[in-house]
Amino acid sequence: MIIDPSEQQLSHAVPRYARVDVIGGVLLMMFAFLIWYGAIELEFGTIADIKSGALPKILSVALVLAGIGVFLEGLFQSPESSERLEIAVRPAALIIFSIGVFGFFIRGGKFGLVSTPQFGLLVVGPLTIFIAGCAADRLRLKSLLILAFGLTSALLLIFVDVLSVNIPVYPKAVGDLLNSHLGEYLALRAGYIAYAIAALGLYVILYMLPERNRG
Amino acid sequence: MADLFHNLYLGFSVILSFENVLLCFVGCFVGTLIGVLPGIGPLATIAILMPITYNTEPVGALIMLAGIYYGSQYGGSTTAILVNMPGESSSIVTALDGHAMARQGKAGKALGIAAIGSFAAGTLATLVIAATAIPLSELALSLTAGNYFALMLLGLSLAIVLAGGSLLKAISMLIIGVVMALVGADQVTGEPRLTFGTDLLYNGFDIAIVSMGLFGIAEIFRNLEAREQQPVIGNVIGNLLPNRQDMRDASGAIARGSVLGALIGIIPGNGATLSTFASYALEKRISRHPERFGKGAIQGVAGPESANNAAAQTTFVPLLTLGLPSTATMALVGGAMTLHGVIPGPQVIAKHPDLFWGVITSMWVGNLMLVIINLPLIGIWVKFLKVPYHLLFPMIVLFCCVGIYSVNARPSDVLQVAVFGVVGYLLSKLRFEAAPLLLGLVLGGMLEDNLHRGLILSHGSVATFVGEPLTLAILTVTVLVLGSALLPAIRRRRAYLAEDE
Repeated sequence: MIIDPSEQQLSHAVPRYARVDVIGGVLLMMFAFLIWYGAIELEFGTIADIKSGALPKILSVALVLAGIGVFLEGLFQSPESSERLEIAVRPAALIIFSIGVFGFFIRGGKFGLVSTPQFGLLVVGPLTIFIAGCAADRLRLKSLLILAFGLTSALLLIFVDVLSVNIPVYPKAVGDLLNSHLGEYLALRAGYIAYAIAALGLYVILYMLPERNRG
Repeated sequence: MADLFHNLYLGFSVILSFENVLLCFVGCFVGTLIGVLPGIGPLATIAILMPITYNTEPVGALIMLAGIYYGSQYGGSTTAILVNMPGESSSIVTALDGHAMARQGKAGKALGIAAIGSFAAGTLATLVIAATAIPLSELALSLTAGNYFALMLLGLSLAIVLAGGSLLKAISMLIIGVVMALVGADQVTGEPRLTFGTDLLYNGFDIAIVSMGLFGIAEIFRNLEAREQQPVIGNVIGNLLPNRQDMRDASGAIARGSVLGALIGIIPGNGATLSTFASYALEKRISRHPERFGKGAIQGVAGPESANNAAAQTTFVPLLTLGLPSTATMALVGGAMTLHGVIPGPQVIAKHPDLFWGVITSMWVGNLMLVIINLPLIGIWVKFLKVPYHLLFPMIVLFCCVGIYSVNARPSDVLQVAVFGVVGYLLSKLRFEAAPLLLGLVLGGMLEDNLHRGLILSHGSVATFVGEPLTLAILTVTVLVLGSALLPAIRRRRAYLAEDE
């Protein structure tokens, strides 16, 4: 079946409310009002001596105008040039979740109402990779597991050991215990070496042994 | 002239320390590595890797950052030639003839001529920067606040117009960027501005966080939408070095491309991309065999590749001499300089001559390294091309998290990256370019400061402010530039450039 491209586009005519430019224009206007609201309290000053409120107020007016322009453009554009707003929620949500896990649990602390414990990179790193990895079109468990341990190990080596960046490595209680027994450096190195071995071991078990059994 | 060599000598004395050569090498190497990985362009590369430069001295950090920049540019060309996937818009043109050559089993020659052309172009561009830097920065120092304000407007409008896409949307993004720059403690009084009563916003927006979210993370969202495809790579790379005949064929194109690129790069806007189109068109027009273009003409690789490398380097000129970044990438570099306590602008040469000339000469050294890194190691890069995206993107996510956390050890920074990732994704879905936002964010403070001082000097009279001859002249050009974007002929051309960098 051959579809005439123009026909195809007509059948995909986008209703006005779903058009990219209509939504974009509205968002711009809302943002402009937000800026204005934030700037109400700020002093404008005089032309000869502008104060902190001047530029935000002027720019919020300009932004409203631009927003109206984009909105009208979207409203009156021809159906062929209009575009529907389509968002892939699942992958985006998973990746945001994975970054959130990292942010909330790497060191822990108070975030507004909730407070979180410190899990350290050894726990948070593989978790972040694993959750983010689920955002792919299908789950590849084996390679993801190896990556989770391998990359965490590599990042500990690069950032914490070589560049000596201060990143929590272990969950708080475990870390305190290990540091007091082994000392900080030994504990750190034990951690990433163990993970490197784990990654290597997983690779052997999941990829090399099945190969050999087959051969 | 003697000064020029004296300065270059100073520069070489800085770069040729063991540590700096190493940092330059690491920058080029990592830049190329990330640049050849599918789906990561130079802007995202710099955004992702910026935190690792924080742990070194300012000179070293900038040398490394510059290395990452042209390394990733170069990596983009490699993917364009080998698998017809231009990593960024400045290597779209390269893909035309470069990939055609690769299909004929001449990938090695294409890569070789690209490397040689880039090196020749880099040499010229280094000289151009060295020669123009001092006069331009002296000129800049004589400008009044009003002049500067007008100049910034001109630079920003050129950047918007030459980057393509909807003008109105680009201006909206620019405004939002400028407003974001104003958020936080007031520069003079320290009173909180637009913070909505939160402590988080009192420190303002961090350019590293914003760009990592908008360009690093958001790019992953976009890439995940497209079905993953394994690039098909021919095993035959062929002879790596172009022979004498190839060199003879390409040398003219390299020379013309270098000059063209070096000139176009200085103008604010998407110089690297623009110059490749210009160079390709030029080569095709003057060629005796225009029909060969698109089917593996070596000039079609040599010209644009030289042009984009020269332009990529001379885009540093406005940043280093005037303090005005002309692309989003340069805005990031400017942000990185500021973080190291070096405010980009005309004072850099006088206050930090070692840093300035060190970075300039490091570009030449870096280009030499790129040739060394790229030609013998091409086999390794080909392997990297095969890294599947489903493994790559979780790595980028964790790397970004660790990288941004390592800067300030603040978990809230990590969460902000997530927020800006969502914002960046929404923006791209709504067909807004995020690049002008970054320019606004970097320039906003300066813009306000110069407007303020200019108005004080003109005693609050807008007529006096605008009426100053140089200001008036620059503002007139600005209006003309913006107006020209509305002309149908230029409008069509801008559609080609819609994708920034």
